[in-house]
Amino acid sequence: MPGETALIVILLLPFMAAFVAGFLPQTARNTEAWLAGVVAVIGLGLSLWLYPQVTDGGVVRAEWTWMPSLGLNFVLRMDGFAWLFSVLITGIGLLVVLYARYYMSPSDPVPRFFAFFLAFMGAMLGLVLSGNIIQMAVFWELTSIVSFLLIGYWHHNASARDGARMALTITGTGGLCLLVGVLLIGHIVGSYDLDVVLASGDTIRDHDLYAPTLILVLLGALTKSAQFPFHFWLPHAMAAPTPVSAYLHSATMVKAGVFLLVRFWPVMAGTDLWFLIVGAAGLSTLLLGAYFAIFQQDLKGLLAYSTISHLGLITTLIGLGSPLGLVAAIFHIVNHATFKASLFMAAGIIDHETGTRDMRRLSGLRRALPITATLAMVASAAMAGVPLLNGFLSKEMFFTEAVENHTGSLLDQSLPYVATLAGMFSVVYSLRFIHKVFFGPDAVGLEKEPHEPPHWMRLPIELLVLACLIVGIIPGITIGPFLASAVTSVLGPETPYYSLSIWHGFNLPLLMSIVALVGGVLIYLALQRYLSSGIEGPPWFRNLKGQRIFERLLVTLSWRWAKALEKLLGTRKLQPQLRLLIGTVLLAACLPLFMGRFAPNLSAFVGFDLGFATMWAVGMACAVIAAYQAKYHRLVALMLMGGAGLVTCITFVWFSAPDLALTQLLVEIVTTVLILLGLRWLPKRMDAPELVRPATLMVTLRRYRDLLLAIVAGLGTAALSFAVMTRPAFDSVSRFFLERAYTEGGGTNVVNVILVDFRGFDTLGEVVVLATVAITIYVLLRRFRPAAESVGLPEQQRIQADFDAEQPHRRPGDTLTDYLNIPSVIMQWMFPVIIVLSMYLFLRGHELPGGGFAAGITMSIGFILQYMAGGTRWVEAHLRILPLRWIGWGLLFAGGTGIASTLFGFPFLTSYFQYLEVPLIGRVPVASALLFDLGIFLLVVGATVLILIALAHQSVRSPKAARAPRPLGPVGGEQ
Amino acid sequence: MIAPGDLPLWAAIIVGALTIGGAAFTLVGSFGLWRLRSFYDRVHTPTLGTSLGTVLIIVASMICFTVLESRVILQELLIFVFVSVTTPVTLMLLARAALYRDRAEGNASVPPADPQPILKAREAEPDA
Repeated sequence: MPGETALIVILLLPFMAAFVAGFLPQTARNTEAWLAGVVAVIGLGLSLWLYPQVTDGGVVRAEWTWMPSLGLNFVLRMDGFAWLFSVLITGIGLLVVLYARYYMSPSDPVPRFFAFFLAFMGAMLGLVLSGNIIQMAVFWELTSIVSFLLIGYWHHNASARDGARMALTITGTGGLCLLVGVLLIGHIVGSYDLDVVLASGDTIRDHDLYAPTLILVLLGALTKSAQFPFHFWLPHAMAAPTPVSAYLHSATMVKAGVFLLVRFWPVMAGTDLWFLIVGAAGLSTLLLGAYFAIFQQDLKGLLAYSTISHLGLITTLIGLGSPLGLVAAIFHIVNHATFKASLFMAAGIIDHETGTRDMRRLSGLRRALPITATLAMVASAAMAGVPLLNGFLSKEMFFTEAVENHTGSLLDQSLPYVATLAGMFSVVYSLRFIHKVFFGPDAVGLEKEPHEPPHWMRLPIELLVLACLIVGIIPGITIGPFLASAVTSVLGPETPYYSLSIWHGFNLPLLMSIVALVGGVLIYLALQRYLSSGIEGPPWFRNLKGQRIFERLLVTLSWRWAKALEKLLGTRKLQPQLRLLIGTVLLAACLPLFMGRFAPNLSAFVGFDLGFATMWAVGMACAVIAAYQAKYHRLVALMLMGGAGLVTCITFVWFSAPDLALTQLLVEIVTTVLILLGLRWLPKRMDAPELVRPATLMVTLRRYRDLLLAIVAGLGTAALSFAVMTRPAFDSVSRFFLERAYTEGGGTNVVNVILVDFRGFDTLGEVVVLATVAITIYVLLRRFRPAAESVGLPEQQRIQADFDAEQPHRRPGDTLTDYLNIPSVIMQWMFPVIIVLSMYLFLRGHELPGGGFAAGITMSIGFILQYMAGGTRWVEAHLRILPLRWIGWGLLFAGGTGIASTLFGFPFLTSYFQYLEVPLIGRVPVASALLFDLGIFLLVVGATVLILIALAHQSVRSPKAARAPRPLGPVGGEQ
Repeated sequence: MIAPGDLPLWAAIIVGALTIGGAAFTLVGSFGLWRLRSFYDRVHTPTLGTSLGTVLIIVASMICFTVLESRVILQELLIFVFVSVTTPVTLMLLARAALYRDRAEGNASVPPADPQPILKAREAEPDA
C-alpha cells in the first residue's frame, strides 16, 4: 500500500465509522467501543507504518483535485510533526475509547457519543494532515463543531448546554478569524499549498499585510488553545463527559492552537510583534492559569486551569522565537498530553466511584483506590515537574530558555521570575490535588462506597503513566528519535543541537526547579487556611468572571444592538414590506431601461384576433376582480381565480400546446380544491363596527399611493413582457429541442422530453422543491392552531348536528350521509376510472400529451374526491395512504435513474431508450426517462396528497382541541 | 397529418350542422342561466349544454374522425358516459347547498326540513 492510500484511509476511516456508529442500536456499548477501537488501532498502525518515510524531514504527500478553477487541491501531507500529532490523536484516542467503554453508563445514548467521538478523531486528523491551508481551516472549524456537540452531550444539563455554546462561540469566532488570516496568507504567497507557504517565510514577514494576517491567525490559535483572555471557555467545557475532557480538552483539540503556531512558526515567528503577542499571551496564561488552578474546588476545574496554564507554557515557548524554544514546545505538547490525559481519566474514575468531583467532599481515597491513587500521584508529579518524570524534562528546557536573553525587553527580562513563580504554582495545585483527594481522613457522606474500577478502565491510565516514567528516565532512546523527526520537519536546516539527558550539571535551570518545588510546598502550607475554608476561586480574582463578561457581551451584541437595529430598520407590517419590495423592483427595472434609452417597438403589434382578445379581456377581468375581492369575499375571489386559470388553459390550447393545457387544467383543479379546504381555517374578516375605523385623510392618501405603485409596477411588467415578446425571435434553444426530441430523446412529446430528458436535472431540482414545500406545509399544519373564531364547527355542521340530535330516530351525521348519498357513490366509483386515466396519461406521456406530472396530479385528484365523498375518517379506514413514502420513493426513482446512468459511464441523468417487444401490446418504446417520470409521478402524488391530508386532518382534530360548546357530529366531507 | 380539408363535402355538412347545433343548445342554456331569476330555475338551464349540446358535438366528432381516418372511432362515447355521470353530482350538490341555505335563513319559499311526512309515507309501504 503506498503512502497516499494510507493517508486517505487514516483520514476517511473515522468519518465512515462515525456514520456507522450513529446507526447502531442504543444498547450496543461493546460494539461501539470495538468499532472505535479498531478504527483507532488502524489509524495508529498506519501512522506507525508511515514513520520511516517522515524521518529526516521526509514528507508523504497525496493530492486530489478539489476546485481546479481556483487552483485548490485537496492535499494530505504528513511530515514528522504531523506524524507526532497523528500518533497522539490515534494512540490517546484508542486509550480513551477503552476508558469510555467503562465510563459511559448503559443508560447514556452511546451511539451518539461514539459517532461524535469518531467524527472528532477524523476532523482532528484532517486538521493535522492538511496540506492545504483552506482545507486546514475547514477541518479546524469541524473540530469546533464536533467539540460543541461533545460538550453538550448531556444536553439535559443546563451547564453542558451553556458550556458547549460558549466553546463554540469563542472557538468558532476564532476559526473565522483564522480563515480570513489564511486567505490573507494565500493572497500574500499566491498559493494555498502548505509547502509553498512554508517556503515563503520572508515574503510573508516583509509584506505590508503581515500584521493583520498575524493577528487574525493568532486569534484563531489563541482562542482554540484557551489562551488569556479567551481562556474561560475551557473550564466551562468540563461539563462534557470525562473521556471527552481527557481527549479533546487536554490531549488533542486544545493542542490544535499550538499546533497551528508551530506549523506557521517558520514563516511568521521571529518578529517583535510575534514575540509581543504570543509571548505576552502565553506568559499571562501560564501564570493566571496556574494561579486559578490552585483555588478550584472541582477536580476537573483544577485540571482545566492547569491545562490552560500548560498551554500557556507551550505558547510562551513558541513565542520566544528561538529554535530551542520550539523544541521544548513540541516536547511539552507530547508530555502534557500523556500526563494530563491520565489525570483526567483518574478524575473520571474518582467521579465514577464516589459520585462527586468536589474536592471539599473528597478525602483519604488512597485506602479505597490504592492503585488509582498511585497512578494519579505519579502523573501529578509529572505535572509538577518532579525529576525522573517527563514533565521535568520539558520544564527544565523551558527554564533554560527562560533565562536566555531574547529581545531584552521588559517581557523578556521578567521571564525567569514569572517562569519560576508559575512553576511554584503548578507544584501547589498538583500537591493540593494529591493531598486533598487521597490523603487525610476517610471521606464521609459520599453517595457510593468507592472501590477500584474494573482493570480495563484503569489500563489506559497505567499505560500513560508508564509512558511518563519511561520518557522521564530514558528520554534519549524512547521519545528522542520521534521528537527529532518532528523538530526537523518544522525547522529543517535550522534544527539546533539539544540534549534530552536528565542531568545537565548543577546550573541555573536546576536551581529554578528546586526553588519552584520547595517554594510550592511552602506556599501550599501557607494557603492551608484559605483552601480549607471551602471558597471557590482565588482571593479577589474570583469576583472577575470571564463567563459574566462574555454573556454580557453576547447579550449586548445579539440582543440589544440587534433589537435596536431591527427597531430602526425593520417593520412587522406587511404593507411597508411589500411597498419596499415593489418599489425596489420598479427602480431596478426602470433604471437600466432609462439609462439604456430603451424605446418599445409598438409597430410590432400585429395579428390582432378579436376572439382571443375577448377571451383575454374576460381573463384579465377575472384576475383584477379576484384581487379586488380577495379581502372581503374570498370564495368569490377563488372562483374568479379559477376563471383566470381557465383562460390561461384555453390560451395554451389556442397556441397548440395541449400538454401545457392539460397540466394547467389539472393544476387549476387541485389548487382550487386545496385553497377551498384552507379557506375554512382563515380568520374571519373584521366587520365588527368597533374594529373598522373610518379612514382618515392620511390613510386614504396612503392607499391611493399604494394603488398607484401597484398599477405602475403591473403595467411596467406587462410592457416589459410585451417589448420582449415582440422582438424579432432570435435563434433560441427551442429549435434544438424540436429537432432532437425524437432522434435523441426517443419521444414525440417535446415538452415531456425536455422535462424528463434534456432538462432532467432542472426537473429533479423542481420536484425536490415540491417535496420540500409539501413537507414544510405538513410540518407547519401539524402544530397549527387556527384563529380563535374559526376553531369551532362551521355553522352548517352545527345546524346539521342540532337537527340530527333533535330527531329521535336520527343518528348524528345522518343528514350529511343523506345529502351525499348519490354523489358519494358516484365519486367512489370514479376512483378506479381516475386511476386508469392517470396510468393512461403516464404511459403515453413520452409520445403524446401527458406525463408523470399530469398523471400524478390526476391521481391526487382521485384521492381528493375520495376524501370529499367519504370523509377523512372513512377514507383512512379503507385506504392506507402513506404520502411520505410516495415522496421518498419518488425521489429515489428520479435520483436513482440519474445515478444509474453514471454507473454505465454516462453523465448524470443521461437517458437511454430502446424498443421492446411486449406480448399482446406489441412494440413499445422504453426509455429510461420513463423511470425518471415514474419518480416524478410518485412524488407529485405524494406531495399533493400530503398537503391534502394536512388540511383534512385539521377538521378531524380541531373540534376536539377547541372543545366546541355543542355536541359534536362526525366530521364528514370537506364541502 | 390529417388536414380538415380532406373531409368530403357531405361529411363536412353533417359535422358542421351537428357542431353548430350543439353549440346553439349550449348557448341557449347559458342564455337561460342569465335570464332566469331563481336559483332553482337556473340550475336546470346549463344541463342543456351538458346533455344535448355535448351529445351533438360528440356525434360530430365521431363522424368527422371516422371519415378522416377511415376507421370507426368510438372513444368519444366515453366522454358522453363520464359527462352524464358526473354532471348530476355537481347539480345535486349545488341544489342541496342552495336548499340548505334557504332553510337556514328561514326562507318560506322552500319546503321545510321536517322529514316526518316522508318517513310516515315510507312506513306505510309494506316492503320498507
